[in-house]
Amino acid sequence: MGFRVRLVAFLVAILVIVQGLTWLLVFEVTRHESIKVGERQLASAAEVFVNQLDDISLRIANSVQVLALDYALRESIAEHDRATVLSALRNHGRRVGAARMLLMDLDGHISADTGSADPDGRPTGNHALFPFPELLNGVLEHPVAAVVAMDGHAYWMVVVTVNAPQPLALIAAGIPIDDHLLANMQRLSTLPKNIELIASTDRGPWKVVARGDRHVPLSAPLLRDGKALPAAPVLVKVGGREYVALARPFGRSPGNVAMAVVIGYSLDEALGPFRSVTATWLLLVLLGLAVGAVGAWLIARGVARPLEELADTAARIASGDYTPPPPRRRHDELARLADAFTRMLGAIREREERIRFQAEHDAITGTPNRVAAEAIVQRDLATTARHSGALLMIGLARLPDIVKTMGHTISDHLMHDASVQLQTLAPGQLVACATDSQLLLWLPGAGRSEAITLAFRVRDALGRPWREAELSIDAAPAIGIALHPQHGADASALLQHAEVALFAALGHEDPVSFYEPATDPHRPARLALMGELRQALDGDQLSIAYQPRLDIAMDRIEGVEGLVRWNHPLHGPMGPDEFVPLAEKTGNIRHLTRWVLASGIAQLRQWMDEGRELRLALNLSARDLDDADLPRRVAALLGAHGVPARRLVLEVTESAVMAEPDAALKVLQRLAAQDIDIAIDDFGVGQSSLAYLRRLPVRELKIDKSFVARLGEDREDQAIVRAIVDLGHRLGFRVVAEGVENSTALDCLRDMGCDFAQGFFIARPLEAAALRDFLDPP
Amino acid sequence: MRLYRLVLAGFGLAFWLPAMAAVLNVQVLDDHGKPIGDAVVSMVASAATAGDPPALPVAQTKIIDQRRETFLPYVEIFRPGDRVVFRNSDTTRHHVYSFSPTRSFEMVVRPGRSTAPLLLDRAGIVAVGCNIHDHMRNWLFVSSAPWLAITDAAGQVRFDAMPVGKYTVTVWHPQLSPRQPPVERQLDVPADRADMKLPVTLSLLPDPRMPMDHNRMQY
Repeated sequence: MGFRVRLVAFLVAILVIVQGLTWLLVFEVTRHESIKVGERQLASAAEVFVNQLDDISLRIANSVQVLALDYALRESIAEHDRATVLSALRNHGRRVGAARMLLMDLDGHISADTGSADPDGRPTGNHALFPFPELLNGVLEHPVAAVVAMDGHAYWMVVVTVNAPQPLALIAAGIPIDDHLLANMQRLSTLPKNIELIASTDRGPWKVVARGDRHVPLSAPLLRDGKALPAAPVLVKVGGREYVALARPFGRSPGNVAMAVVIGYSLDEALGPFRSVTATWLLLVLLGLAVGAVGAWLIARGVARPLEELADTAARIASGDYTPPPPRRRHDELARLADAFTRMLGAIREREERIRFQAEHDAITGTPNRVAAEAIVQRDLATTARHSGALLMIGLARLPDIVKTMGHTISDHLMHDASVQLQTLAPGQLVACATDSQLLLWLPGAGRSEAITLAFRVRDALGRPWREAELSIDAAPAIGIALHPQHGADASALLQHAEVALFAALGHEDPVSFYEPATDPHRPARLALMGELRQALDGDQLSIAYQPRLDIAMDRIEGVEGLVRWNHPLHGPMGPDEFVPLAEKTGNIRHLTRWVLASGIAQLRQWMDEGRELRLALNLSARDLDDADLPRRVAALLGAHGVPARRLVLEVTESAVMAEPDAALKVLQRLAAQDIDIAIDDFGVGQSSLAYLRRLPVRELKIDKSFVARLGEDREDQAIVRAIVDLGHRLGFRVVAEGVENSTALDCLRDMGCDFAQGFFIARPLEAAALRDFLDPP
Repeated sequence: MRLYRLVLAGFGLAFWLPAMAAVLNVQVLDDHGKPIGDAVVSMVASAATAGDPPALPVAQTKIIDQRRETFLPYVEIFRPGDRVVFRNSDTTRHHVYSFSPTRSFEMVVRPGRSTAPLLLDRAGIVAVGCNIHDHMRNWLFVSSAPWLAITDAAGQVRFDAMPVGKYTVTVWHPQLSPRQPPVERQLDVPADRADMKLPVTLSLLPDPRMPMDHNRMQY
């Protein structure tokens, strides 16, 4: 139930309840007052009625008295003219409304009765004597009137003397007290409409003798309980209507009948005006209800609408729209709420901007962070549809060391300065902070040349030793560059590849490096290959090519280096450089090594069977040197094939050894203990540690092909190779030169006393069958 | 003149028979002890008396005047054979009537006139009214009783020279209830009593003659 409905319902309910209670109160008060008024009116009406009845009685008596003075009547009475007397009595009876006229002597002996069955009016039966002798006591002194019961009816019995002029006879006139009399009285006066006369003969039960024209049986409830009439007004219910009823006795003496008048005051009639007022009232209440409901609705709307607007605004804020709500021309609590709301809105917007800034910016340099930078670059690419662009990732290689030695303060300074310098070098371009030690520079529209130009300027600028409190710090910057679109279509790829390029640069002398897809070990295509490599190991996609090795002094093929190949069903033949690094990273290298070892040693056996005295050199990965089980496995293979250990040479790179020197040393020593020769591969380019070299059980050194390739022309290379050969020999190692591609190089090697040569000039890597042909030319 | 002679005769009797005659004073009072006038006291000897009763006077004609709607006097005593004349001294007519069996009549008396003398030949009470004025009442007491008198305003009647003997005294008044028996007293006049008193108390009905109260009457 909404606010409006509740408010309206509340107001309507209050109005209805209050008006209802008021109505009830007024009704009760009015009713109470009506009852009191009724009681007062009844009391006075009863008096009036009794007085009126007395008046009537007196009038009737007077009328009868006048009749009695009629000369002719008196004459006929005096002369005992019965017929005349009877007719005169009837005539006069009609005049006064008497139902019965009696003529009697002074002692009450009836001589003529208009109600007699006798045609002459003589009294019949026991009616010869006037039945109410007590009425006659004072009749000679004054007329007597009383209520009597006769033949079951109530009468006003008036007795007068006939004087002629002395008292001669008595005339009694019986006027019936009936509905007709009451109707007459009601017509003549303002008597209550609800009136009843009740009579009790000789203290018998009360009976109704006359009713008013309403014919309301008022006395019935009064007389229900007993004979005694209530002295005070009582509330009775007759025919579903309420009356205040009062019984007033009268006319007790000297007749034999007690009479009472019962008059009623109709509450319904008294409340009649109130009922019409009630109708008006009801109309007013309904009108008030309607007006109240509309008013309440309007007020509620006035309150609810701004609230709804605020709610809408809140919903908009929730969805990120911080447009302030339109100002309202109000000065009430809602306006204050709206103001507070607007202020809150501003605060929220401010805070959110700050949070967003913090989320998108690096705290130290104040430049956008990696996520933000990626978004900016992506937006830049998407919105401007650039055809080119260069992303430079600048890494400060020394920074971790600086943090460790001098703390974050210095490193933060360094980073900050570096970002400032970048902004100086490339004004207006996006400078961002990718990690704690890497900065980003986005050059939209730049190509390879602009990128490399700027990269070198950056390297020069950042490469200058940074001075801080008597310290000179070389941050050792390196820069990886990814170009759009060739290195990446989107910002994410560009960032990733720039970082790859940066890692490549960090490992090189030349600190600026472009991304090289071919050497990227993280290419997604390669990851897919790893899954397939497992299948290749199980199937026969892998093979080993053997590159012959020349014994320079003897001028004969002394051995071969086994190089694993992958005849990929889709990509074709792949060299070890293309999948071995990946195999190392994905943990497949040990499976690969086992396969190679098994295949190579099996081939050795075959060659032995063929009578060939070839040695086989196989490459071990750094991961293989972690495998403590490797020596046992090799021994088992050799034993299984019955191959002498001295026929096998295992090559490891310097870097492979240096990764985990202690573990590698153990493995290598155990292998060497089996009389397996160990060779250092790619000697000269890695982190050659002569200290380690001395400890290693090495029997051969393989000079890296980068020194050998241009051996004929480059004197420096010649010096290096000569030194290595001398070093190897002096340490008791055999020395192998790789990458021999021409005779000049071979001659040099021979001249230098190098033991073995290997390279395209001697032979390419060959399949086992091709090697047989090579060794045994047809 | 006749009365004078009667008185003289009385004196004479007294003179002659001093031990045989007495004076009787009848005092008529009402219930409250007030004197009642216009009461007729009649006496008859119930046995032989020592002396003769007084002789009846010769027939007379008495005038009943009608003045200010009132019969004057209210009560008049007559001897059978007397005549009565109704005289109208008012400026209005009067319709004099009587239904009494003793003598019934009906006469209209114009103002200033009198009726012809009406013979009252029988003893009895004649109630006379005026048909025009209901309150006018008049009583003609016709009696042959030897002793007959009307009380004065003091309610007293004096009988002189009452012979020794026994009497029946009857007291009548118009306002006595017709239902009551006549008021009678037995009286014994002894020889040794010269002066006797007879108190009589009557219960009267209200006076039917309405006094003319011009303050109350608007007409």
